[in-house]
Amino acid sequence: MQNIPKKKLQSWLIVPAILIFIFIPVTSFSSNIQLSASVDKNQLTIEDSIELSIKISGVRNPPIPKLPPLTDFKVRSTGTQSSTQIFNSDMQVSTTHKYLLTPKIEGNFIIGPVIMNLSGSNYQSDPIMVTINKANPIKPNENRSVYTETSVSKKTPYINEQVVYTFTLFRKTEARNLNLSMPYDESFFRKENLGKAKRYSRVINGIAYDVDEVSIALFPIKIGESTIPPSIMELDLIHRTQTNRRRDPFSRFFNDPFFGGVTQNKHKILSTKSIKLNIQPLPKKGKPNGFKNFVGQFSITATVGKESFDAGDTTTLTITVSGIGNVMDVSLINLNLGDQFKIYPDQPIFTKSIHGNQIGGEKIFKFALVPFTTGRQTISSISLNYFDPDKKKYNTISTNPISLTIKPGTGTENLNLVQSGVAPTQQNGSTVSILARDILPIHTRVEDFKSVTFDKNQRIMYMTGILIPILIYLIAAGYIRYNHKMNEDKSYSRRQVAHRKAMKKLDQLSVSNPESKDFVRKLSQIIREYIGDKLNLQGTAFTSKEVGEKLNKNTFADDKIFAIKKLLEKFESMQYMPVVADKDHRLIDETAELLINLEK
Amino acid sequence: MKTKKFFILWAILLTIFISTSRVEAQKKDISSQVTLANEFYHEKNYQAAADIFEKLIDQGETNGFLYYNLGNTYMRLGNTGRAILNYLRAQLLLPRNENLDANLRYAINQTQDQLSPSRGGLIPSLLFWVDSISLIEHFDILILFNIIFWCICIGSLYYRKPLWKSLKKISMAILLLAFFSTGIKYYLLSEHKIGVIMDKKVDVKSDRNTQNVTLFELHEGAIIAVNQEDSEWAHISVNSDKSGWIPIESIDY
Repeated sequence: MQNIPKKKLQSWLIVPAILIFIFIPVTSFSSNIQLSASVDKNQLTIEDSIELSIKISGVRNPPIPKLPPLTDFKVRSTGTQSSTQIFNSDMQVSTTHKYLLTPKIEGNFIIGPVIMNLSGSNYQSDPIMVTINKANPIKPNENRSVYTETSVSKKTPYINEQVVYTFTLFRKTEARNLNLSMPYDESFFRKENLGKAKRYSRVINGIAYDVDEVSIALFPIKIGESTIPPSIMELDLIHRTQTNRRRDPFSRFFNDPFFGGVTQNKHKILSTKSIKLNIQPLPKKGKPNGFKNFVGQFSITATVGKESFDAGDTTTLTITVSGIGNVMDVSLINLNLGDQFKIYPDQPIFTKSIHGNQIGGEKIFKFALVPFTTGRQTISSISLNYFDPDKKKYNTISTNPISLTIKPGTGTENLNLVQSGVAPTQQNGSTVSILARDILPIHTRVEDFKSVTFDKNQRIMYMTGILIPILIYLIAAGYIRYNHKMNEDKSYSRRQVAHRKAMKKLDQLSVSNPESKDFVRKLSQIIREYIGDKLNLQGTAFTSKEVGEKLNKNTFADDKIFAIKKLLEKFESMQYMPVVADKDHRLIDETAELLINLEK
Repeated sequence: MKTKKFFILWAILLTIFISTSRVEAQKKDISSQVTLANEFYHEKNYQAAADIFEKLIDQGETNGFLYYNLGNTYMRLGNTGRAILNYLRAQLLLPRNENLDANLRYAINQTQDQLSPSRGGLIPSLLFWVDSISLIEHFDILILFNIIFWCICIGSLYYRKPLWKSLKKISMAILLLAFFSTGIKYYLLSEHKIGVIMDKKVDVKSDRNTQNVTLFELHEGAIIAVNQEDSEWAHISVNSDKSGWIPIESIDY
């Protein structure tokens, strides 16, 4: 038993000791600290990358060494490894920091010394010389594991014509950490994305490739020659190598892709060729007046919200321009509908859509129209000019004219929107010119200015509106159910009306002659009928003794049964008396009292 | 005892009479104030008209046409930001008024940013009628369908026929929809705050400090969604893709 505290004390000492041993930088038992830097290769192409390993031995948990300036490389840390080895009771510890260096340019470079400061002493590695060569030229029909291509839909597009620029990655092996950069000259092009990358398989010269394809739409905004710079794809290729497990009985199991076998990552940077484009101006021949550089294939439609309405009221004119090309650039700011309407333009809404491998969409323009005059008005057709690059000609598309009927209104305030240049009598003519746009008048119907506050009283009213119907339903449901039961269940209805019926008969009896023998018989009959109704018994021909037996089987209390029996016996005996006297209605009161007691 | 009852009855009748006449007097006063403000407006005395409309609103009068007229008055005064704010307030109470829509569009077109109010997400888009019905109308519809539903329930209990049961199911579905729609409307009004920029130009910052990076600029009358606020700064968003912090005194909602 005394060993337990000792053991506890030991564990309390051992645990912090282990933690200190692990985390605090401690000079190795050999006390020979070394820092070395190495690369996996020093001759490579611009498409490859170097793995720089910095090994620190002789110290546990050393500080992270300082890398030299590596401006010509992209540097990425790929992790840290620690190892402990024991040779003949001599413990050797080492830590290796790994970095992936991706060259930005070709040439000869020196990776400077890596420096580490430990307890005031500086340790440094030797410099490393590396040579970055040009990428190997791609030979036709070469069996490559990965390669890229770029293409454009047209090399001599017109200004504002959509050019689809496509980047394609062909690979035979698995790839991870894909990072694509597709630069373009922003002063020459406007870019629109064409959705997510497509992934499919393709067989080239009998070899199956997995293909990843990314497209963007470029709209040239300047005339002249321009170059799309090379696209750069950075990725890690995964090479799975099978180890010599064939003799192993479990080899088939471990060769399962789930266990992955042995994988080897190879970082690659693939660059495509630049593409030259020659952007053409639109042909001058046939160019319509006021042409606004819409290039593609378009269509136009127009609809109105209502075709018949009162003067002073508004209708909404909706113009929809859809198609392929620079639909997003279409504008109808200065819509000319003659001088018949006051026009309030709304913000246009553009919805992008992809048609095959091209960008298009739908742009909706809404205008609130307020007619100046009453009668039949026509919204003349609205035209749009565009250049079709496929047919190499200009097209004009138009909407159909729309007829409107404007009824005389009841408004009192003048709009003051226009000022006639001529006499007022000629206002219905076409000589009225719009001088300015303005807001619609204020509301003047005083009755409409009733306050609509959502205050406490209003809330109470709404709560009442919610709860009262539920309360009415509960009351009605109770009443309906009671009625249904009274109609359908005879015993229930007899039981329910028994007391009322008996009391009514007692009332009737109180006005009859109390001295007749029939009076006592009738009193006895009322009690028997009451018991018959309560117990759903047929007939009333039972004696006071039988009443006691029947009631015993049911739920009346013993004292109540005794009171009934006693009263019935009393009535039975009184029937044989020569004179019955109940001038003070004592017998009736006694019976009524009994019935009330039985109901309790 | 009889004298006491008589006294109580008279007291109740007198209270009702006094409160009714007070309400009537108040209504008459509001009507005369509105008429006066409208006259000022027509006489182009816009500041006087705006003062009266503002005073009525400060007194607790809530009416769509009051906000609409105030919006028009501010447009005449050249205060587009206040005009848009009042048109937006009016739109909550008069969601289907075409004159109001036209004036709001006009006012937005006068602004530099030309930002329209956002719709507020997927559910309001699915419940497309929510924007076209005011909260009070929503409650009225809810009460109406509540009464109809419980009446049908009573009928179904009384008649006990399949037709009544089907009616009960249909009315229940409509009632639930009305309930859900009212809830969404209430949530949007209380949570989805829409504000308007009041300053001529506001720098939208990346965080709550003037030293932070200016992400974009907004101008008077720009309609924004107010997501979060404290005593000095408000986090706002525009068109659901741009957001940042602006001083709270630059906006009103």
